[in-house]
Order: sequence, then C-alpha cells, then structure tokens
Amino acid sequence: MIQEPRVGVYICHCGMNIAGTINVREVVEYCKRLPHVVDANEYIFMCSAPGQNLIKDSVNRCNLNRVVVAACSPTMHEATFRSSIREAGLNPYLLEMVNIREHSAWVHSHEKRRATEKTKDLLRMAVAKAVLLEPLEDLRVEVQPTALVLGGGAAGIRASLDLAERGYKVRLIEKLPTIGGKAARLGRVAHGDRTGIELLKPLMDSAASNQNILLHVNSELVGLDGSVGYFKARVKRSPRFVNERCTLCDKCVQVCPVEVPNEYEFGLSKRKAIYLPFSGARPHLMAIDPAACNKCGECLKVCEPNAIELDQQGEEAEVVAGAIVLATGYEPYDPPPGEFGYKRSDKVLTLFQLERLLDPAGPTKGELKLNGSRPRSLAFIMCVGSLGTTANAHPYCSRMCCASSLKNMIRIKELYPDTEIYAIYKHIRTYGRHDEKLYEQASANLVKFVIFEKTPSVAVTPDGLIVGVHDATIQEDLAIPVDAVVLAVGMSPTKDLDKVRAVVKVGCSPEGFLREAHPKLRPVEAPADGILLAGSVTSPKNMLESMMAGSASAAKVSALFANGEVHVEPIIAQVTEEFCSGCAICIAMCPYGAISRKKVGEKRVAEVDSALCKACGACVAACPSGAMQQSGFKDTQLMAQIAAISERRGG
Amino acid sequence: MSDEFEPKIALFACNWCTYAALDLAGTSRMKYPPSFRVIKVMCSGRVDPQFILEAFKDGADGVLVAGCHLGDCHYIEGNFKALRRVTLLKRMLDRFGIERERLRLEWISASEAKKFVEVAKEMTEQIKALGPLSPRLEVRA
Amino acid sequence: MMDKPKIAMYWCASCGGCEEATVDIAERILELTNLVDIVFWPIALDFKEEDVENLPDGSITASLINGGIRVTENERMVKLLRAKSKIVVAYGACSAWGGIPGLANLYNKEELVSLAYHEVPSVDNPKNVTPQATTVVDGVKLELPELLPRLLPIDRVISVDYYVPGCPPTADVTWKAIQTLLSGNLPPKGSVIGASEKALCDECPLNETKPDKVLLQDLKRPHQIIPDATKCLLTQGLLCLGPATRGGCGALCVKARMPCTGCFGPLDRVTDYGAKTASFIASIIDFQNQDAIEDLIDKLPDPVGTFYRYTLASSILGGKARDRES
Repeated sequence: MIQEPRVGVYICHCGMNIAGTINVREVVEYCKRLPHVVDANEYIFMCSAPGQNLIKDSVNRCNLNRVVVAACSPTMHEATFRSSIREAGLNPYLLEMVNIREHSAWVHSHEKRRATEKTKDLLRMAVAKAVLLEPLEDLRVEVQPTALVLGGGAAGIRASLDLAERGYKVRLIEKLPTIGGKAARLGRVAHGDRTGIELLKPLMDSAASNQNILLHVNSELVGLDGSVGYFKARVKRSPRFVNERCTLCDKCVQVCPVEVPNEYEFGLSKRKAIYLPFSGARPHLMAIDPAACNKCGECLKVCEPNAIELDQQGEEAEVVAGAIVLATGYEPYDPPPGEFGYKRSDKVLTLFQLERLLDPAGPTKGELKLNGSRPRSLAFIMCVGSLGTTANAHPYCSRMCCASSLKNMIRIKELYPDTEIYAIYKHIRTYGRHDEKLYEQASANLVKFVIFEKTPSVAVTPDGLIVGVHDATIQEDLAIPVDAVVLAVGMSPTKDLDKVRAVVKVGCSPEGFLREAHPKLRPVEAPADGILLAGSVTSPKNMLESMMAGSASAAKVSALFANGEVHVEPIIAQVTEEFCSGCAICIAMCPYGAISRKKVGEKRVAEVDSALCKACGACVAACPSGAMQQSGFKDTQLMAQIAAISERRGG
Repeated sequence: MSDEFEPKIALFACNWCTYAALDLAGTSRMKYPPSFRVIKVMCSGRVDPQFILEAFKDGADGVLVAGCHLGDCHYIEGNFKALRRVTLLKRMLDRFGIERERLRLEWISASEAKKFVEVAKEMTEQIKALGPLSPRLEVRA
Repeated sequence: MMDKPKIAMYWCASCGGCEEATVDIAERILELTNLVDIVFWPIALDFKEEDVENLPDGSITASLINGGIRVTENERMVKLLRAKSKIVVAYGACSAWGGIPGLANLYNKEELVSLAYHEVPSVDNPKNVTPQATTVVDGVKLELPELLPRLLPIDRVISVDYYVPGCPPTADVTWKAIQTLLSGNLPPKGSVIGASEKALCDECPLNETKPDKVLLQDLKRPHQIIPDATKCLLTQGLLCLGPATRGGCGALCVKARMPCTGCFGPLDRVTDYGAKTASFIASIIDFQNQDAIEDLIDKLPDPVGTFYRYTLASSILGGKARDRES
C-alpha cells in the first residue's frame, strides 16, 4: 500500500429487515474502533439515492480510499455501490460488500444478541480484506465480426447461412474438394421423397454463392492463436489442380488411366484420379486427387478451356475471426475386416453403402444390386459399432441408425416386395414425433424382428451368408441363411479429430468426441469463449439435429458479434513473472486453456490469456510458489479476512 | 449470555452455488445457528489448504468448504480440485491432532438452502461436542 | 585503520551439518578470515561465553546462527547474540524454520522424553531416570537446560534480519550470502539471501522436458524406479517438491536423480510450505473419483512428514494440537 488505507464503513438498516434484528448503532460504533476505519455510518436504505449520496459525500469529506458496505446480498446491489463510488472518484473495485441481511438478520432473527456479534465479526473480516484491495480496470476486447466455420457439412452450412443472413462475414473451411458432408451422400431421407443431396442443394448453392460467405475447399486449419473476439487462424489450402474454367465436359475423365475406389460411394464403385465428387458438388468443378494422379498429362491434352493446372501450388492464408465454429462431423464406424463378415464377402455391406445403392443417382441407379445380382433376402445387423456389441464397438448408442435402417427396410420392401428382410436388433430406438411410424410400418411390412443379447455372427460360406443369432425372446439359436447382410454401423469421432484438437485446444469426452461446456445448459459451446461446437462433432446426431446445432451456434456467435466487444471481469488470475519458475503446475489446472508457458530468455514463465481466464482461481491455489494470484481474491487479501475471524488477531 | 461454548465455523462459500444457497436460506427466513463466518470465493477450487489451517489457527473451531455439485461447477471442474485438496488435508489433520470432523466438504447447489441449513445445524452440534480448538493450538513457550 | 567486521557463528539444536557447510566454502574461508574477525565459533575456536557477554551491544556485525530453539540454553544464547549483534542471520533450515528436528513438534514434551529415556529398545535405564533441570550430586547442584514444549525457529524468540536457506545451505549459497552481508548493500530486512527468488524448476535442467499438462496418475517412492535422467522427475511419479521449493542449490539432488525434498524452504509469497505443497500435489492428481484419489494418496505414507520435513515448526499450526482436556 503506497497510501495509508482510509476505510469508510456504511451499514444499511434495510428498513426493519436488518435493523429489526441487529443493533446497527452498536455495530457502527464497533467499526469506528477498527484499524484503518476513519468513518462509519448507517442509513435506513443505503441503496436509495440519499443512501448513495451519503457514501459519496463521505468518500470526499473523509478522503476515503476504501469502502465497506454492509447490507443485502451483493447479487442485489454490489453493482450499484460500485457505480456510486466510481462517481465519487474511487476505483469501483475498492469496495467490499458484506451480506448482513440474508446471511445474518433474516436467519438469526430469534437470536438478536448473537446475530449482532456475528455481524461485528463479518465486518471486522471485511475491513481487514478491504484494507488490501487494489484498484482494477475492466478489460475490453473488441470483437472481429467474422466467423470461421470449420466443416462444410449440414451443421457447418446451416451455421454459415444463418450468420451470413445476419450480415456477418463467414469463412467456411472444408477439407474435401466439395461441401455437403455425409448428408449429401444420404439416399432418400426418412419421411420424405428427397435424397440428401436434393435436400441440401439449395443450401449448398446458397453457401457457395452468398456474398458474405467465402468458401475455402481443399483447406484445413493448421494454426490458431488469439482468443474470443480476435482469433488469428492459419488456413492451408491444398491444390485442386483444376480452376474455374472447367465446364464439366467430362473428356478428362474418359482419358484418365488411373482408377481408385470412390470414397463418395463408400467404395462401391471406382472413380478416376480426376473426378467430380458427385452431381451437385459445390464448387461444381472437377478435382484431381494428388495421391492417385500419376501426372501422365492425358487430361491436359483434351481440356479445351485450359482448366487443368498440374503444377498448381497450395497456399497458406491468415484469417482473422471473432469466433470459431467447429463442425467437422463424424465418420461411419468402420468394422474391422471379418467383423460380421465385413470385407470377407461382397454381400456384406454397411448402412452407408446401402444408402448409395438405393439412391437413384447412385452407382446402381437406385437398384438393389450387389455385383449384378439382387439379393432376395437381407439381414440387417443393428448396433454395429455401438452399444458395445463387439469388442471394437463404442459403448454409446449412435442415435440415427435405427430410423435409418428401418427407412431402408421399408424402401426395399416397396421396391422389391418379395425380399425377405430380417432385422437382427438389440434395441429399437425410434424416438421423437415421427420415427415410431417407421417401426410400425416395417413390422406391418413383415420385416422379421429378431432380438439379441449375445452378439450375433455372420458366417461366410460358399453357399452364401448365414446369420447366427440367439433369439432372446424364444431363447433359441437361429441360423438364418441370407443373400446379403447390411451392417447398421454407428457414428465414430473422426480419425483426424486429434489434429483439430491440437490446433484449437478443445477437450474431448471419454468417447472421443469434442466436449461441450455443459451437456444441457451449454450444448453448443466449448468451455473456452468464442469456440462453438456444432453437429455430430460432439455426439451422434441425425441431419435435423445437426442443423439445429448449426443454427444454435450461429445464434451464439451472433450475440457475441452484436455486442461488439467482450468484457472481461478484472478479477482474473495474473502471474508475477519475477516469482514464476515456469514449473507448469498451473497449466493443467485451467479448464479454459488460458495458461501457457512462454520463454523469457533461456527460462520459462507462465502466461495467462486475460481474454480466456474466467477467474475461478484454481490455478492460484495450486501455484506452489504463490506467483499466480487472483485480483480481488489474492492470498494476502483472503488470509487477512480469515485472520480477522477472531477479535484477538484481527481486532 | 451463557457460558456455553458457541463455536465459530469458517465457511468458504463458492459464489455461484453455496453463496446463493445461503441467500436463499435468508430470503426463505430459514433459521440456523449463527456459527458461520463466510469467506466468499468465486469457486471452491480457489480454496487453498493454507486458508483452512489459518482459519483454525485464528479461532475457527471448524471449517466448512462448500461448492457446486461435482459435474456442475460453474468453472467446469474447480470443485474436483477442492475435493482432492481437502481429501489430502484431512489425512494430514490426523497428525496434527485436529479431529477430522472439524473440516467438512459439502456440495450445496444454489437451490439447496434446506440442505445448507441441515448441514449448518448438524455441524454446529458436532463442533460443540468436540469443543473449542484454538486454546489447544496455543503453545506456551 | 578500520577494524574488520566482527562475525559470530553459533549452533543451537543442530546436527552440525551447517557448520560443515560453512567450512565447505573451502579456500574461500581464507579470504573470509582476511575480511572478518570471527569472535565466537564454538565448534572451531576457543572463545567462551563471557567473551561474548563482554562485547559491547551491537558490536558484532553479523551473527550467523544455525539450529533451532529446543532447550532453554538455545534461547538464552540467541538472545545474548541478538543483543550483541547488528545483524542476525538464521543460517540453515533449522534456525529458519525448525528443520527436521521440528518434526518433534508432532509429539508433546512428555512423549519425547518417555520415548528417548524409556521406550527406545536400545536404552538401558533400569532405574527409570528422567532428566531433571536441577540435580544435586555429592552436594553440588547441577543444572541442565530444560526441554522447551516445542522446537521453535529462532525468529520466534528473537528478531531475525536475514535467512539463508538449505539443509544445509550449499557452499555457493553460503558464499553469496556472506558477500551480500559484507557488501554494504543490504536487502530489506526479513529477506532470504544467497538463494533464488524463484522455485527450483527455474534452474532445473529437466523443467523444459515437461509436457503441457503435468498430472499425477501414480506415486512412486525413489527405491521403486530407476528414474530417466532426461525427464522431469515429477512426471515420472516421483514426489519432487521442486515446484514449491526455493531454488539456488543448483538442483543438486535432481541432477543425481533424487527428487527434491524441499530443504530450501518456501518462496516469499507462501505462508505455509507444507500446506502449499500438499495443495499443488493434490491439485495435479489426475482422478475425479474419491476412491481413486484416496488410493493414490495411500501411496504416500506420511504426508505431514513429507511435506513439512523441514518447515513444521514454522508452519501455521507449528505442531500437534494439545489433547482435549477431559
């Protein structure tokens, strides 16, 4: 303390609420005798204009530099009194408020003497802390009204459009050559006639052409600095090797000698090294897959518009954004070869492959044909990769697969009524308003449901597939010969999620998805301010739910942008570098990633990002050398408050 | 005023949950013994074991550290840190001859005024039975 | 010609290691004896108590006192030296914080005497004698210093100007402290001299090997593993108290692959070394579940002894609470 502390203590009666129990006069006189107290007074309603004026006048008259107000709960009027003393020329954080109404008068009204003694104790403790308070300044961070959306699937597109609509600029970053994600590869969606791409097309067109949205395909986020309001992102674009002059005449595709499995058809067909991802892809251009291309140059020879640039370079760009939306989606569970016959027979396929087969725009034009022949009997094995069905499976339910499978069973029955369909299931989870009808319809369509507890098996024999299952209802082992098996695979976190997490520093849940700040109260926010989580990146969701999450994220970002600046409470943690050994104990304490180690010469010290620090103080209690302190809740301040619990020490 | 021992209990109350529960107990006019002396912290994760020992030394016969329920911490996981620190400190109190019941860790959410009142009554009785602590901490040279 | 500054060195309840440490400054002791006049140093020089009593008050430039206050004799001597000295330095962990002998404060006087004189298996005490303050033998009254109820750091008995940390302080720290004292440029009273303002991690070569997050999933005693000399010992599960301990020793123990036990004591902004250490260790336990936390702590057999090894006597509680009077 450079100045001698001069403390004023002001005690409110709150009508009879406080004064009816506590002898306020006695407490005022007591406070006058406390060290450093130069003025003490009382008033009937301290929060009223005359009450506040009493305080303001006293600040000036008595040359106070600390103020203690004893009244109701700080949640009611702490802000009021902070403003008051600010108006009187004092820093608003030189105020300590004591709750003597909710915490004393109202709960000890039958023990007036002891209530008064307790009140004196509380005031003595508050004065001891107030003496050590320091002026603090609110921190303000200006917000850049640009959003960076990582992931161009259903959630990312929805978030981008919602933000663009509000007039904010969006950079939509997608690692593939086209946006659309997995939703664009769905066949006919449940409860409607349209396929995924048909539903998404207007949204994708909009996103690709919207003035406020800058689309970066073939791009990844490789670096991220800064914090809410001002993030500095490094985006790396890999070359597409085809430019906007492409007219999709297809001549290059015809001459390209290289064929590889088509990931957009989940391996059911092949594509060339130069290819259009799918009809409806945006940007609507060919792309060259650098891993497949052998640079033979045949495509160059036939390209009239000169759209092919085999020596195109990638580039890195810096993007400044006020908020980041992570919408990087999921991957279908990929069963290990041999699981239920997967990859041991071309008659075992996944749900996603089935979607492609049944899509009129798919590799078989919508016909259910496997290697040219139509299966007359199909078994769907449910919960593949979910609910711990196999050793490799995730423990959770993947949410969308029941509805999706039933929808497909119904469709197959519509197209091919003579097909035998077995649903080998653990549970049927058709939730919500619409999906139970799918279950009813499937049953009515004579899909045979067989419930299992023990994991079923699929035997691949020269004569065909045999599904072995112990029917838990009739308690019998069944061996069901079928022409084809569909594995209702669930949703897994993407394999490259670790790479994303390394850049963005979001925690993950035990299941491997990104972890939201609170599953119920803050489902689309990461713990760190300014980072939003939309879609299946946090947990399995269907298309509707992903889009809702996208909109929710956009709403959160809009609120942030509309405010224009972020206020940071000044009661944050701070390191005194002269005492910090760089021991790094504090870093693991912060759930917001606000602390890092920086090099100072040869040594290291901790550094707190004031925009990220939420002022919990966990790092302060852990700091082994006391170098980390929390403004307004420093060790010295709290220890002084504690030491004053008893008269003999603090009095 | 009787000669009966009236304990003083230091209460480290987290701003978001426990402090709010105390407020609610007040607005609901619930009644509990006037033994508690509140030290407000933003999070139970701010509570340093040094504070607890200092409280005992300076006249607290008991210490109650209270925060949000595990999993509900306003700051995500501060209360887990409080849990770990208090767990270790309790073991150490044995060696210092301080009865473990004098240090109590409770999770009290903002709506649990009733729970706070029950804890307050129970702990006050317990500490009364254990007797004052600070005379036992003084050492005549 | 200016008189050389007078220096006194004295030991209270001490193991003698601090005396060794002083001598450890090796050839520099010759330089020292040229710079100063040693007027009292019981272990090495034949000055008597009366020589000190006869000195004018405040005439000793600096008294370096090691060892804690365990018996009345210690108390008497430090008060004498305080009166006769301009500067008093608490040299070493025992005088600064009580040191390892301070752990006796976990027992009361009666328990200590009973243990030492009656219970230890190797004691042969058929008449069950107990030391007395005065005894008459052949008509002569003999006096023994009395055991105080607790061991105290010397600053509980006299005012102390500076502290030199360590058990014992290293030769370099000792020499730096001496130079500071003789420099004429004295730091604020109450400062720790000769050592670092930061914790040991600042000078430890293994500090930069730490991952971003330092968390404990297991605790190992030093005999249970052969530590990797290229990785921070704490990250290998050893209980290295370096983060909480003042630096200045050059991380000697860690360089020999032994975790720091805290002999350079707390940093300036810490009130209670043991509580702060317990706080940081508990904080980095990587479990959320009460049982898992307790299981890990079970691997630490004596938290009080481990965390307060050198500082119990100066801690907030100072020692064990007295039993409840029935």
